[in-house]
Amino acid sequence: MSNRIDMKGIGKSFFATRALDNVDFTCVSGEVHALVGLNGAGKSTLMKVLGGIYQADEGIIEVNGQQVQIGVPADAGKVGISMIHQELSLINELTVAGNIFLGRELKRGRTPFLDKREMARQVKEQLDRFGLALNPNRPVRELNSGEKQIVEIIRALMSNSWLIVMDEPTSALSEEDKERLFEFIRRMKVEGIAIIYISHHMPEIFGIAEQVTVMRDGVIVLSERTGETSEAQVIQSMTGEELEHFVKPHKEISGDPLLSVQGLSKPGVYENVSLDVRPGEIVVMTGLRGCGAPELAKAIFGLDGDYGGTISYRGKALKPGRGPAAAVRDGMGLVTENRDKNGILPPLSVRDNIALPYLEKAVHHGVIDASHIDKVVSKAISDTSTKTSSPDQEIRFLSGGNKQKICFSRWLDPDLELLILLEPTRGIDVHAKADIYRIIEDMAQRGVGILILSYEIDEVVMLGDRVLTMYHGRRVSEYAYPDFEKDQMLADMAGAGQPH
Amino acid sequence: MTSTSAAGVGHPKKTLDSLTLRYLVLIGLILIASVGFSMANDNFYSLTNIGILLRSIAVLFLLAMGMTFIMLTGGIDLSVGSNVAFAGGVGVITLTATGSAFLGFGAAIVAGMLIGAVNGFFIGRLKLSAFMVTLATYALARGLALVIYDANSINVSNTTFLWLGGVSWGNMPVVIPFIALVFAGLSVLLYKTTFGRDVYAAGSNFNTAFVLGRRPERTLVWIYVLSGALAGLSAIITVGRVSSGQPWAGLFLEFDAITAVILGGTSLFGGRGKLLGTILGVLLYGIIINGLVLTGTNPYLQSLIKGAILLGVVLLDNYTQRGKAA
Repeated sequence: MSNRIDMKGIGKSFFATRALDNVDFTCVSGEVHALVGLNGAGKSTLMKVLGGIYQADEGIIEVNGQQVQIGVPADAGKVGISMIHQELSLINELTVAGNIFLGRELKRGRTPFLDKREMARQVKEQLDRFGLALNPNRPVRELNSGEKQIVEIIRALMSNSWLIVMDEPTSALSEEDKERLFEFIRRMKVEGIAIIYISHHMPEIFGIAEQVTVMRDGVIVLSERTGETSEAQVIQSMTGEELEHFVKPHKEISGDPLLSVQGLSKPGVYENVSLDVRPGEIVVMTGLRGCGAPELAKAIFGLDGDYGGTISYRGKALKPGRGPAAAVRDGMGLVTENRDKNGILPPLSVRDNIALPYLEKAVHHGVIDASHIDKVVSKAISDTSTKTSSPDQEIRFLSGGNKQKICFSRWLDPDLELLILLEPTRGIDVHAKADIYRIIEDMAQRGVGILILSYEIDEVVMLGDRVLTMYHGRRVSEYAYPDFEKDQMLADMAGAGQPH
Repeated sequence: MTSTSAAGVGHPKKTLDSLTLRYLVLIGLILIASVGFSMANDNFYSLTNIGILLRSIAVLFLLAMGMTFIMLTGGIDLSVGSNVAFAGGVGVITLTATGSAFLGFGAAIVAGMLIGAVNGFFIGRLKLSAFMVTLATYALARGLALVIYDANSINVSNTTFLWLGGVSWGNMPVVIPFIALVFAGLSVLLYKTTFGRDVYAAGSNFNTAFVLGRRPERTLVWIYVLSGALAGLSAIITVGRVSSGQPWAGLFLEFDAITAVILGGTSLFGGRGKLLGTILGVLLYGIIINGLVLTGTNPYLQSLIKGAILLGVVLLDNYTQRGKAA
């Protein structure tokens, strides 16, 4: 069974903004079609048109040559299109099979009673078909994010979808889960499923996709077989310019440690970890997901006091769990790994988002000096090259990269001494990444001590003055710039030669 | 670089405009309602009636402003109506016992703040649901009021105590300039101080406010105390208006305050809204209710009409905000 979908001449405007302009996009069964572009290039808008969330102003959609109307999301389901969302839409209290059959449960004969055994059997059959080991009777709340994603995909396949749209599917997955997902995708291709794969990761795209399409400013700038193009060409089409290569500037680091962690332990999370950060130094912790580094960073910021060992800052021991308010007062800053959960204040303006930790310093006679705040905010916006129509713009309308820059620009305050960054470039495009790296390096040049947690090896070696690898809560090794050996680091992170 | 990128910025400046638009619509509706009722009843536009109208919604202005702070944090305070009765009771008893109007004022406000502090402690510190906690204090404060008054009203004749709620300069009740002062003070608090910014931050994203070191749990405690203090002030005005302390004072006022705040465009989910909207919401709501009384509408229909207004506004908000959620 071979299917194809053709989107022809799609156009869509929001007020004065032309989000999509004359876009042609085709996807055929048995292939992965990678869709790439910077944040705001129009990928999501195009997929929302395909999924019936938006209506195109111009253009048509054809399934196997027949024109179809996709007016509401249910119409997309009827023609066999399913979207797998980043924020997963499963019900935690139901089992795997219960979620998959949600809304179309099987009954026992004509009784109103559910036939759980038959539903589980059918789900098992599908899982086996794709070589996936998962118990249909497990409650979804026990699954990790990779397994939940598999459940979503199986649900889509079992409601007769032949086209699966995946938006950044690997952003929250461990290495192990990524491999399993790619194997699953290969099996789906064999079964004649078509996949639209939205991603920023070049190795993933060139590893599994047959076709790659690049969007920029609402139009398609490149659409090629992956065998006939290159990573460099794709990246260049995304940005429209040669990517300025980030080069680490030279600097001398000396002096006493600003932060000194001695023998920090929390049972089952991290064990006997010691590290130092000196003013102006960038220390990167890395490992696989579950290595304990984020929890360690949170203990340093005072979010968790349940640990043994000592954390000294400016030569004094810190009280465990003293809370973020005390940390900020002492000149520490934190950029969290999850912008939407605890990074931004969605209904508020860019100005309010940036100025919040700074307010006390702009108070004169009990009231906030608005012109002082305006000065600080416009400087922060230009220093981070954040793209916003005005400081009054609500932050939720900005792209991921610009939101992240705002999470950074809060901490440009000259009194800041230590900045903790958790996955500083998670889910943002290559262009914004280069800006973020520059911001981090600028702050270090100013003498801010920086402690980073990153899972991306290229980022780790690009940014670090020193790199610490962690495995299962233990510190494995330490590398000092420029003697970084990527292969050895990866082996350390994966626990090669470590007892389990 | 503050240029707008061509893509990615979906709806430039839309919400700022939508709040302004909301206020213009409210002003329009206020005008329409006034003209309508004045045609139906010649007394509507008399200065006497305007005085009566403003006096009758004076308390609602105060409570709704307090409710605005609370709803900006995504919370709700169901206890304010009962708190008016309780704080009034404490004030009147103190006045009777000591003979000092100022001790009576102080006692009423402190009593109101006390209920607010209970709410704030459970909601801000123990992170319990605002709906459940204030539902409990709603019953609790009313119960305390009934106990204090022994279920009977107490007449008050102290002219100082009655001044704020009872005296008029010509047709202008003194309480109206007083409320304008409170409005100005609360506006400074909300827009010009760090506390005000923290109110918006706590309602926008509690977790973010917390990791940025803003102590949102403390902010929550204080806004419920503020709401309680405004209930205490309302109690003084209520006693002044009817020259007596009543155990059933303030009944259903929490409903009126919430409706007026929603009408004024403050989001149920926190982080969005302004005091000006609440003022306009109270005015429109007050004019409609007052107009219904003057035009001799069956009083039993009032509650029905109030309910219909609230449902209508919530429905409208849901409809107009749906497109913006993406």
